[in-house]
Amino acid sequence: MPLFDILPQLMVNGLIAGSIYALAASGFALVYYVLKFQYFSHGAIMSIGAYLFFAFLNLKLNYVLSAALTVIGCVSAAMLSNWLLYKPLRKRKATPTVKMIGSIVLLIFTSALILAFFGSSTKTIPAKYNQTFDFGVFTITLIQVSIIIFAAALFLLLWFILKKTKLGKSMRALADNKDVAQIVGINPEKIYNYTFIIAAVFGAIGGMLLGLEQNLYPRMGVPIIIKGFISSVVGGLGSVPGSVAGGLFIGLAENIGVLYLPTGYKDVISFSVLLLFLLFRPHGIFGVKMRDA
Amino acid sequence: MHDYLIAVFAYIFLYTIVVVSFNLSFGFTGLVNLGHMAFFGLGAYTSALLTLHGTPWYAALLASGLAAGIFGAVIAAVTVRLKEDYFQIVTLGLAFIAIAVSRNWVSLTRGALGLPGIPDIIRNNLYYMLFLFAVALASVIILYWLTNSETGKIFQAIRDDETAAAILGKNTYAYKVLSITISTFFAGIAGSLFAHYINFIDPTIFDLEFFVIILAMLIVGGLASVSGSILGVILVSILLSAISFAFANISPQLIGAMRQMLLMLVLLLVLVYRPRGILGKVDV
Repeated sequence: MPLFDILPQLMVNGLIAGSIYALAASGFALVYYVLKFQYFSHGAIMSIGAYLFFAFLNLKLNYVLSAALTVIGCVSAAMLSNWLLYKPLRKRKATPTVKMIGSIVLLIFTSALILAFFGSSTKTIPAKYNQTFDFGVFTITLIQVSIIIFAAALFLLLWFILKKTKLGKSMRALADNKDVAQIVGINPEKIYNYTFIIAAVFGAIGGMLLGLEQNLYPRMGVPIIIKGFISSVVGGLGSVPGSVAGGLFIGLAENIGVLYLPTGYKDVISFSVLLLFLLFRPHGIFGVKMRDA
Repeated sequence: MHDYLIAVFAYIFLYTIVVVSFNLSFGFTGLVNLGHMAFFGLGAYTSALLTLHGTPWYAALLASGLAAGIFGAVIAAVTVRLKEDYFQIVTLGLAFIAIAVSRNWVSLTRGALGLPGIPDIIRNNLYYMLFLFAVALASVIILYWLTNSETGKIFQAIRDDETAAAILGKNTYAYKVLSITISTFFAGIAGSLFAHYINFIDPTIFDLEFFVIILAMLIVGGLASVSGSILGVILVSILLSAISFAFANISPQLIGAMRQMLLMLVLLLVLVYRPRGILGKVDV
């Protein structure tokens, strides 16, 4: 098949996958930026988002109400994890390694919890409005369009919060230098709590969109946060815009790579990109030389 | 002896090798090698492929240890100079890369279908369990001796204060590579013994779900303590068996979920309230 016949479709597919990865990566990166640990339980929040959305829709609630309740559920779960796990760990001055291990443990705990409640069979969220648009060189479904639009809108919102609001300034101050931030009257615990909440909103929306695009299964949070982790390493750990760029980069690389490799090799492509970055450019596309602050 | 009990003991001996060797890098040297199970899996795959192609088991066992150890040395040589968190990222990435390779290199590993029919080393499970006991005992003695030797003291000095160890003229880089090499060698050996015990392996051997069990054993037992690791393996194994018995009348799938949830809860409680585990010498 001539290259230019399939390339547009592959790029669109890459953009869709990349938007989902970027949604996973941005929450992961935001928490890394402010709290300085690898937040793997963001994958748990996303899987909770997908399953809650599925459950509410199954109760015959409408889309908007289900989505709102799902966001509330995910935010509660994230606040609970902060309150019961991350806050006590901060209190005993645990290292970032311990917090990361805790977040991995929480991720595995959540997939077992979902398995216990929903069973291991895959679930599908019924898509009511999913028509397909055919542009000749590529086709795209309504859900995929909304994935891209939601992702773009959320990144603009996140950028706005970080750069223009008082909360964002406090986050950046904390990220740069906790002691100085405290001296000027910023309450770290409060800002940390808001950070988890914002990340959870991203996770909830990312999880719902992911659930609309693919099947639901209990350990779905694990592969998606691995991709989020790879994206944020590739984009530059500690850089929130970098994580978005990393997500899009990985999504495009995986899908355009299909030109040269069988589809099953998508994971190999993203992991190879990860390996190359770790070896030759460990601070990523955008990253600063990290964690001196 | 009851079959179930034999299996429980066999796993205890296997996990002992894995966890004590994990403790050598994580607990004694302070190198949080999150890819430890990738080396276990590498050993399992090496041994499975070699014996399926006619190599005798003892050669395959040795080759598994060497393959994991050499690969560990190479990875360590490149990564131990990195900052602590980059070292963790790389080693965790390694585990993920192992999943991708074992799933996709179908001509070698049969991908997600896995490798069935891996030959037994000893057909009788009781005798194999005793064989595992002997290997585990030998591994524990070697690692216990190592951690109490001068080398082991240097490992711990590097963990506590690398700069100070360097000022005292120790080549900390070489010692860190050595620690990872020995640790991954034993992980490879355990992987080989595991493959010949369950006779089947597939890419799930690299999953985080498996890794966190090992992690729970290590952290519950306590860092930088060989006896702690053994105790951790035994206690976690008893806990997992007890859960299976307590919920014997529910579906196997639900039991699996219960085991995972309760073990993760225990691990979280230890991380928050008892970072030293039961017999640990340092906090997690």
